[in-house]
Amino acid sequence: MKTFISRGEPQVWLTAAALTTTLLMGLTLIVVVMINGLGAFWPSRLVELELQGGQKVLGELLRREPLPDHSGMRQQFKVGNRDLYGMDFRWVDEKQVIGRQWPQQAITVERSEYGHFFGFLKQVVVPQPEQVFDAGDSPWQQLASARKAVAALQDKLDEVMSQINSVNYALEKEQDRLLRFDYQGVSGEDPQRLAVKAEIESLKAEFAQLVRQQRQQQGQLTGYYAQFEDVNGRTKRIELDGIVRCYPSNELSLVGRCGIYASKLWELLSGEPRESNTEGGLFPAIFGTVLLVFVMSLFSFPLGVIAAVYLREYAGDGLMVRLVRIAVNNLAGIPSIVYGIFGLGFFVYGIGSGIDQLFFPERLPTPTFGTGGLLWASLTLALLTVPVVIVTTEEALGAIPGGIREGSLALGSTRFQTLTRILLPMASPGIMTGLILSMARAAGEVAPLMITGVVKLAPALPLDGQFPFFHLERKFMHLGFHIYDIGFQSPNVEAARPMVFVTTLLLVLIVLLMSGVAIRLRNRMKKKYTFGTF
Amino acid sequence: MEKKTLRRIKRHDRIAAFGIRGTGVLVIAGVILILLLIGREALPLFSSPTATLEQRVALPDGLTADAVLAVGVDEYLQQAYVVDRQGRFIFFRLADQQVVSRLSAQSGVDDDVLTQVEPVSQYRYALHWRSGRISLQRVRFVQHYNEQGQRVSSVFLDQEASFAPVDALPNRTVVARSDQGSTRVSLLPGQTLDIEQQVTEEDFLGNETTQSYRSVLEQVHPDALTVLKLDHGGRTLYAATRSGGLLRWDLSEPGVPRLLDKVQAFDDHRAITALTLLIGDQSLAVGDETGLISVWFPVPTEEGPGSKRLGLIHALSVHDAPVEQLVPSSRNRTVLSLDDNGVAHLDYSTSERHLLTLVEKEPFTLAALSVRGDALLGLQRDGAVGLWRIDCPHPEAGFKALFGKIWYESYQEPQWVWQSSAASDEFEAKLSLVPLIFGTLKGTFYAMIFAIPLALLGAVYTSQFGSVRLREVVKPAVEIMAAVPSVIIGFLAALWFAPLLERSFPGFVLTLVLVPLLFVLLLLVWSSLRQRPWARYVERGHEFLVLAPLLVLALAMALQLGPWLENGLFGGDFKLWLFQQAGVRYDARNSIVIAFALGFAVIPIIFTMAEDALSNVPGSLKAASLALGASRWQTVWRVVLPSASPGIFAAIMIGLGRAVGETMIVLMATGNTPIMDWSMFNGMRPLSANIAVEIPEAPHGDTLYRVLFLSAVLLFVMTFVLNTVAEIVRQRLRRKYGRF
Repeated sequence: MKTFISRGEPQVWLTAAALTTTLLMGLTLIVVVMINGLGAFWPSRLVELELQGGQKVLGELLRREPLPDHSGMRQQFKVGNRDLYGMDFRWVDEKQVIGRQWPQQAITVERSEYGHFFGFLKQVVVPQPEQVFDAGDSPWQQLASARKAVAALQDKLDEVMSQINSVNYALEKEQDRLLRFDYQGVSGEDPQRLAVKAEIESLKAEFAQLVRQQRQQQGQLTGYYAQFEDVNGRTKRIELDGIVRCYPSNELSLVGRCGIYASKLWELLSGEPRESNTEGGLFPAIFGTVLLVFVMSLFSFPLGVIAAVYLREYAGDGLMVRLVRIAVNNLAGIPSIVYGIFGLGFFVYGIGSGIDQLFFPERLPTPTFGTGGLLWASLTLALLTVPVVIVTTEEALGAIPGGIREGSLALGSTRFQTLTRILLPMASPGIMTGLILSMARAAGEVAPLMITGVVKLAPALPLDGQFPFFHLERKFMHLGFHIYDIGFQSPNVEAARPMVFVTTLLLVLIVLLMSGVAIRLRNRMKKKYTFGTF
Repeated sequence: MEKKTLRRIKRHDRIAAFGIRGTGVLVIAGVILILLLIGREALPLFSSPTATLEQRVALPDGLTADAVLAVGVDEYLQQAYVVDRQGRFIFFRLADQQVVSRLSAQSGVDDDVLTQVEPVSQYRYALHWRSGRISLQRVRFVQHYNEQGQRVSSVFLDQEASFAPVDALPNRTVVARSDQGSTRVSLLPGQTLDIEQQVTEEDFLGNETTQSYRSVLEQVHPDALTVLKLDHGGRTLYAATRSGGLLRWDLSEPGVPRLLDKVQAFDDHRAITALTLLIGDQSLAVGDETGLISVWFPVPTEEGPGSKRLGLIHALSVHDAPVEQLVPSSRNRTVLSLDDNGVAHLDYSTSERHLLTLVEKEPFTLAALSVRGDALLGLQRDGAVGLWRIDCPHPEAGFKALFGKIWYESYQEPQWVWQSSAASDEFEAKLSLVPLIFGTLKGTFYAMIFAIPLALLGAVYTSQFGSVRLREVVKPAVEIMAAVPSVIIGFLAALWFAPLLERSFPGFVLTLVLVPLLFVLLLLVWSSLRQRPWARYVERGHEFLVLAPLLVLALAMALQLGPWLENGLFGGDFKLWLFQQAGVRYDARNSIVIAFALGFAVIPIIFTMAEDALSNVPGSLKAASLALGASRWQTVWRVVLPSASPGIFAAIMIGLGRAVGETMIVLMATGNTPIMDWSMFNGMRPLSANIAVEIPEAPHGDTLYRVLFLSAVLLFVMTFVLNTVAEIVRQRLRRKYGRF
């Protein structure tokens, strides 16, 4: 015992405890995100409670905790039916519960508005029942076939909608041209101007025609609806085109549950967000993040690599280089919000407004480039991540033994040849590491984006089928900002919880995967040069 | 080799060398550029205002300076106007001196002439006629566009109210008019005030009835009153005396004036020569015969709730001669003052900033400010009217406003306050950066006291005691922790950890007791177990195998026992107990949450760098120490740590830099309240989060916009210092040990 203390073993144990605490914290974060994120889409069973006083509650059990006065326990249920009850969640005191069952017929309906509906299917109504239903179908089967019919109609409607969008876009373009003519002072009689005017008229006619078509098809859709009943017997009519997904929660087999889970997951990855981002998919956010990271790499990667090559291979070892090193390391340490405000002041208000005045004066005061957008956000992030690329590239170049350089030069190659044929290929794993690390950093960064162009809901993707296909001036959505937005700015924070956790999980997975790969790459390279043969 | 190829290769080499050098220099230029550009946006906050003479024209119609009683200028600085003794408003273009229109005000008495014109507010004048009548006139500019798209303005002169003469000949009269009625206060000989109030009330049928109230206050002060001032609604009356006395009456109840204040403003009994109310009708600007401009407003006293006394709040600039005229700006709390010598001063009340002094060869006799506050129209003694353009975009900023304690209206004392915007125009922006800097320091402090011990001890263990395999797992794991986006940490801290902490705070307190307790117990047990073979395995760098379950157990026990502790010690409700016993409010998003969340973000950074520094200590040093019989802890404590200390210092600096600049975590996990309180149960608002919160609402070029840029500069400088110190230390080390 005495030696144990005098040798300082307790202190060693203390350091071990510190490390363990740190690792446990990291583990806790991952576990919390995993549990909440993975569980969010699992279709849980619907429980029906009978309360004292005859009232009934149907919903998903979320959690159980002590009452505030510690006199018992209470349970939180997701009861859905926001349009009927005004709220989605309800706390129930366990003392009030007198009956508890899991009704087989209970149905979960995911709607495109008002969130979930929990209740029972009563009747399905379609315009021509004989064409849609087979004789002897149960209401549930009827619902399935009616939804199929609705889906076919909806497809047609979507087609019309996309036509409307492209006509609308063309119309906007023509109107821009007209604006430009006005700005340039082209007279009303100018043939070009007249042609544009005629084009606008024809587009407008086409637009009106399409809108009529859309109205008519929408009218057809309203004939399809279903009558539901909530647990207390209140009926609710739900249009079939407003149903995203519905399933009998308590009858589902494990495979069925997995199927629902997979379908929700697919919607998450490919769908558009619904209900102020708290439901539906993340596709625009994923797409925005990927595109942002991609455009950012286009700027930061070459710049960073060249700067590192300069520092390591071209610059001497004087005061200047030391200053540059300090500058680069400082660049890495500047808070991201400072980059953001720089991006706003320099890119958006400086360069962006300049571009607007030069190229789009006819649209002013509506800004085109003089407001936050994908390009400015990417450039800001590129500045932010350049130091990461520089530092890792420099490390990789520095790890290459000097003998290799000298060998190459001795054989008569120029410095540039040595660089491109020998050094860069050898350092490529290290450079890749830098690139991946900078991408991971960019994917998770939010603060500078908030002021340079990210929005909670972008009307259009920055990449689409309209000329010039790549719209760098557009605002975009981003996974990290999505988390902040729906977690903190959402009107219904409780209902948004599953979605935030899912988004978090997705972002954590992306970032951790990227950094994991980068770290592995780097460690392998380190080994290669530390224990290598040359 | 062919000569051509050789030449090509050489050319390529030169071009590449040039390009690469250029890019390298570009990066350095980038760093400098960032600071310069951010600084340039913030710099106008401190620039001193200038006034440049734009136009100087002679008075129209051959008027002399003595014949003009008031001057004014329109919003677009195109037309000026003067009021002459006949009650004529003469509008003329400043560019070519051409008279645009002449509009006459009438008193209703033939051959009546004006004795005095008192500006009531922008474009409103009280005209005092020799017959004793007073009329309230308003100048109205209406802008419209003609067919060519040019702006044309037409002018109108409206009479808003007219007051009949009083029986006795008054020394002075002030009038005010609002939607509810009009007020006239006349000063009669013998310091007697004659107050007449007309209240217009509308019944539910829309019929208007007007009631008149009259009250007389006799001998209000032993000394002669020099100036009277009514606020815009006619609800408060101010008076000043020849001997430095200030009086204030409440006139909000018609017919029942109530004396609120009777203070001796200046002990040296100097005469007060001018009074005016600044925008918002709360601050009273006072000019006296010594030339001092001071600002007064009612301050809550200790006598009881609702009791307020006029207090001297700001002392502005001092003129060389008695103050003649005070003109408030209709845009902000700027006040223009003219003295007897005809020198004009511009001062900003809140920040006590003396904006500029305008001394002309020909002294000013009258002056007015434009609506936007961007120009000064002055009448000079030689009968010329000059328009000075004032370039002062940010009068409310300045060093004192940003960093000093400022006494704001309706505050009890000077304070550091950040409150950038409010619903009303009359609101004064409170732009003190001190609470924000305090927030940054507080957040960083709590995060660092949590992060430094954990990160450093953890790094010591990993690099010195842990097994090689452990190191290979731990380092990448911690690096991955560093890669977790801060938005995720912030989100979990705010929506998962903060509610958890709020629900079971006593449990967490218990953890602080239980963990050390169990730890000591473990060590006691362990010292007798450590001779066993498996224990030896654990002691060769696998201590965490025993510790991890222990820590989890301690936490679980603490959380289970938490409610029991809460019932036993804190009367069943910790938050209530805290508030009653210590008077501390428990915010859900408080500094403890920040300590954990920000600490979580900083730990991996400090850990990685400290671990690098520790493992780069030459093995020979360690080996020598161990060979001399030192234990492994003694070796680490006496040999390894001292030689790695510069690296550890650098690690802490870098960690500090990250904590100072972290935005998303603090934005999400603090309440973002800019309070100055060290309590760990309250939140804060750091500089970084403040930028993120406010910049979407700050218009380009506005004061708030520039102040936010200034806070970015501050952040930049803070992190720059920390990083540079760290980098210099690291470069020294690199040269000492060869590699780092």
